[in-house]
Amino acid sequence: MFKLNLKIAFRNLWKNKGFSLINIGGLAIGIASCMILLLYVAYEFGYDKQFKNYNTTYVAYTNMKANGKTFSWAWTPGLLAPELKDKYANVANAARLSYPFEQMISHNEQKLKDRAIFADPSFLKILDYKFLKGNSNGLLQNINTVILTKTLAKNLFHDENPIGKTVKLDHSEALTVEAVIDDLPENSSIKFSYIMPWKLYEKREKWIQEQGWGSNFCLTLVQLHNGSLDQLNDSLKGLYQRNQKNLTNELFLHPLSKWHLYNEFENGKLVGGKIGQLKIFLLLAICILLIACVNFMNLSTARSEKRAKEVGVRKAIGSNRKSLIGQFILESTLLTFIGTIVAFILVEISLPYFNNLLDINLVIQYQDWRYWTILLGLVLFTGLIAGSYPAFYLSSFEPIKVLKGFSIKSGSSFSIRKILVVFQFVFAACLIVCTAVIYQQLNYIKNKPIGYNKGNLIQMVVQGNLKSQKKLELLKERLLKSGAAKNVSLLSMNIDEGGNNTSDVSWLGKRTDDKILFNQRGIGYDFVETIGSEMVAGREFSIKFPSDSDKVIFNEAAIKAMGLKNPLGTIIDFGGRRAVIIGVMKDFVSESPYQKVAPMVFYSSYNNSGGVVMIRLNETNNLSNSLSQIDQIVKEINPDYPVDRRFVSDSFEEKFQDEKLLGTLSNWFGGFAIFISSLGLLGLALFMAEQRKKEISIRKVLGASTANILTLLNKDFIKLVAISNVIAFPLAYIIVNKWLSGYEYKISISFLPFLIAIGLSVLVAVLTVSLQSIKVAKANPVDALKYE
Amino acid sequence: MMIELKNIEKYYANKGVKSYILRHVTTSIKQGEFVSIMGPSGAGKSTLLNILGMLEEPTYGEYHFMGEDITAMNERKRIELYRNHIGFVFQAYHLIDEMTVAENIEAPLLYKKIPGAERKSRIADVLDRFNMVAKKDLFPNQLSGGQQQLVGIARALVAQPSIILADEPTGNLQSAQAEQIMDLFKKLNKEENITILQVTHSEKNALYGNRMLTIEDGVVKEDVQIK
Ligand SMILES: Nc1ncnc2c1ncn2[C@@H]1O[C@H](COP(=O)(O)OP(=O)(O)OP(=O)(O)O)[C@@H](O)[C@H]1O
Ligand SMILES: [Mg+2]
Repeated sequence: MFKLNLKIAFRNLWKNKGFSLINIGGLAIGIASCMILLLYVAYEFGYDKQFKNYNTTYVAYTNMKANGKTFSWAWTPGLLAPELKDKYANVANAARLSYPFEQMISHNEQKLKDRAIFADPSFLKILDYKFLKGNSNGLLQNINTVILTKTLAKNLFHDENPIGKTVKLDHSEALTVEAVIDDLPENSSIKFSYIMPWKLYEKREKWIQEQGWGSNFCLTLVQLHNGSLDQLNDSLKGLYQRNQKNLTNELFLHPLSKWHLYNEFENGKLVGGKIGQLKIFLLLAICILLIACVNFMNLSTARSEKRAKEVGVRKAIGSNRKSLIGQFILESTLLTFIGTIVAFILVEISLPYFNNLLDINLVIQYQDWRYWTILLGLVLFTGLIAGSYPAFYLSSFEPIKVLKGFSIKSGSSFSIRKILVVFQFVFAACLIVCTAVIYQQLNYIKNKPIGYNKGNLIQMVVQGNLKSQKKLELLKERLLKSGAAKNVSLLSMNIDEGGNNTSDVSWLGKRTDDKILFNQRGIGYDFVETIGSEMVAGREFSIKFPSDSDKVIFNEAAIKAMGLKNPLGTIIDFGGRRAVIIGVMKDFVSESPYQKVAPMVFYSSYNNSGGVVMIRLNETNNLSNSLSQIDQIVKEINPDYPVDRRFVSDSFEEKFQDEKLLGTLSNWFGGFAIFISSLGLLGLALFMAEQRKKEISIRKVLGASTANILTLLNKDFIKLVAISNVIAFPLAYIIVNKWLSGYEYKISISFLPFLIAIGLSVLVAVLTVSLQSIKVAKANPVDALKYE
Repeated sequence: MMIELKNIEKYYANKGVKSYILRHVTTSIKQGEFVSIMGPSGAGKSTLLNILGMLEEPTYGEYHFMGEDITAMNERKRIELYRNHIGFVFQAYHLIDEMTVAENIEAPLLYKKIPGAERKSRIADVLDRFNMVAKKDLFPNQLSGGQQQLVGIARALVAQPSIILADEPTGNLQSAQAEQIMDLFKKLNKEENITILQVTHSEKNALYGNRMLTIEDGVVKEDVQIK
């Protein structure tokens, strides 16, 4: 029986090519969308889980109170790791590591700038990186050593064996290559191309030795033996105070496995993070698959009258309901199977595009059995869901009704079909509204003034020769003279970067209990002019006032937080030194454009490691000419280093990564959802037009025009789509409102997204239905009536 | 006794008005009879045949099939009867369009769970008997009406039923083809002792049988034996 049923299923597919195409196409797009989303979700869930001990590994977090809030971040004092290892029995290993930063590494003529970290030896015990070459014992012990990743080793040494060879760090330190590890998986939070010993860090950065418990500058990874985390977290309470009395910071451990997805804290409590977005994608994946299933259900039941005869005959010759259900489920599973194969092709074709879009590297893990199990599960699930309703519905036909002539009352089945169509369009309309709102919000934030002019502004890393004040001055002079730059200044770190803050500022009238966190930045002469901001009061640092070393500038937010009425001339204590306020700068966005600008303090500074040269391009000159001029000048002054410059507008754009991703994905998959839904509608219209052929012919004979007929056929569908929108609107409103509530700066929800939703869905519906029924409406009535 | 009907009534209620289709039908049919049901259009012939075939339920009355009460019968038992005792032949043939001739004939055997080898031999047998061997891989829409009806009958026969219920089996056919089918019925009835019940409008066809029931306005008007 199975074999025959399979054969018949194939013949049915072939005979009804149109339906099969719509069904398979819809299912394929649904499954492909679902697969891509699931791949992405799995990729995100797999973050940091490649390590054997990921379950017992934790990241140390510090809670810091400032500006009336508690901030939680993974910065800790350097003293923490040894303390944890020594005094807590449950701690198996604890390692410090520096945050990754770009550093020049070279071998002979091969010079590369790549991501480096410094780490304690136990770091390699906590995270088991895959060693390709070299001995894996005793690493990071000797001070002048380095471990390379595969790609970096290849780039530096080509086919030579790098073990035992010497590379140079930043043209100064000679390091012996001790081992080569495999490249890190894309989805790991700690990213680097080479590791060097912590001891080398301490040697190079003398200030580290002097840091106490209040200075948070490194990442601490902790591996536990076992036992409950809560217990340990309890005993860690007050650790900072036990070591240094005046501290209010608190320490806690956060699981490595949650580091990536659960990374948002509010007042010291975990509130979520990327996981929220991921859940949305997961929901999206399921809903799209369901929409494709609904299509299948709709089309199959719509075709029921054609199948009814078969059911009747089969029943009259002794088939029971069970075997009929089996047959229909078989057919749907077969369709799903074919759909899946097509989906595979679609996924393989579109993955590169998506990888490019999301800037990640998703691949189908063909050799992973889990992937196949999930896929098989997906096929069976889809086949079952899609096939179940038609199977139960069709198999319930009473043979007599069928055989006596088709008098199946389509009333009940049609109303379920209506509900299904409504479901599809509710989902589609919701997605349209959400996508529109996401775009509006993104646009709003993007166009919100950020306090300076980020166009035509370049930031260039200070490195090599540029670290000397003389050369910097020379550079500025030459850049200005060449006409490529209108203004040049300095900043102690990237202008679009957060971090580096202090609360060590006091002034007359400061309340002892309020702790204000100031972002501190060193700036060069003409900084305000260069970035295109302005002074609200006072002046900025300038060559005209050479003795500015004890002067500071605050931004408006800082003055407001400090409560100073007449800030100019106010004397403050800044990091133990006396300083005078000489100006108030307009607020500009450096961290999240979604949040209010934090208080900032600026001091006059020339060289600062990690600093950048800010260059305002001369707009009257040709852009590419200016750039090549700049590059040439920089190369002349600093020949050992490649020119490392970026447009601020490009760097700034990266802040919108998450929202852009959400926008793009909901746009694409929303589009797919609508497309699949309209495929379903097309099928229904196809069927309906055929079913009403006779009625239409009679109406035409009676004098109805093509337009009359089209209206008649469209009316029902438009009603359904309208109902869907009515249901979707409050739903979408709730979702969108919830999403927006996460932003300090947000748009107010307008009518526009809802108008778009209803307009678009009605348009799509009318187009699909008309496209199909116009054929029937225009047909010669005689053809349909002759055979009755 | 193959079939026993006692006081069968059937009506449809429409807006409170009952319209009777069958009234007080009481009759019995023995194993091996060849009964023709006749009567004007709308008399209730098809309805009666459908009730006999358990495709429809009577509103009142008793119906025993091979001694068993049909009204008290569950679905499973009824499917059992379809598989083993009843063969239907329809005026509109009702072959499954997606199946070939051979597959259409095979279907009831599959439901009866008859093993493959025997299935093959039975199908070959029937095809041979109906002279359809050459057509066994064609689909219904590639056959003439008469040929389709032959397949319909072949399908009814292959499961070796005890009774064949046929509603105007030749209604759509030319008289030559009709004759062929009637001869076949007669032969089956004679040689294999299969009970046959057919509805027909043609006196000539009715005469192939050995008993004639005439129905008018839902009532049995005549019940005559034919020599
Ligand atoms: N579902 C129904 N609802 C109401 N009346 C019905 C229904 N089915 C059949 N009838 C009526 O029952 C009567 C008998 O129908 P039936 O099909 O048994 O007639 P028939 O004797 O087979 O006629 P014909 O020779 O034309 O086939 C008809 O008058 C028909 O209108
Ligand atoms: Mg009839």
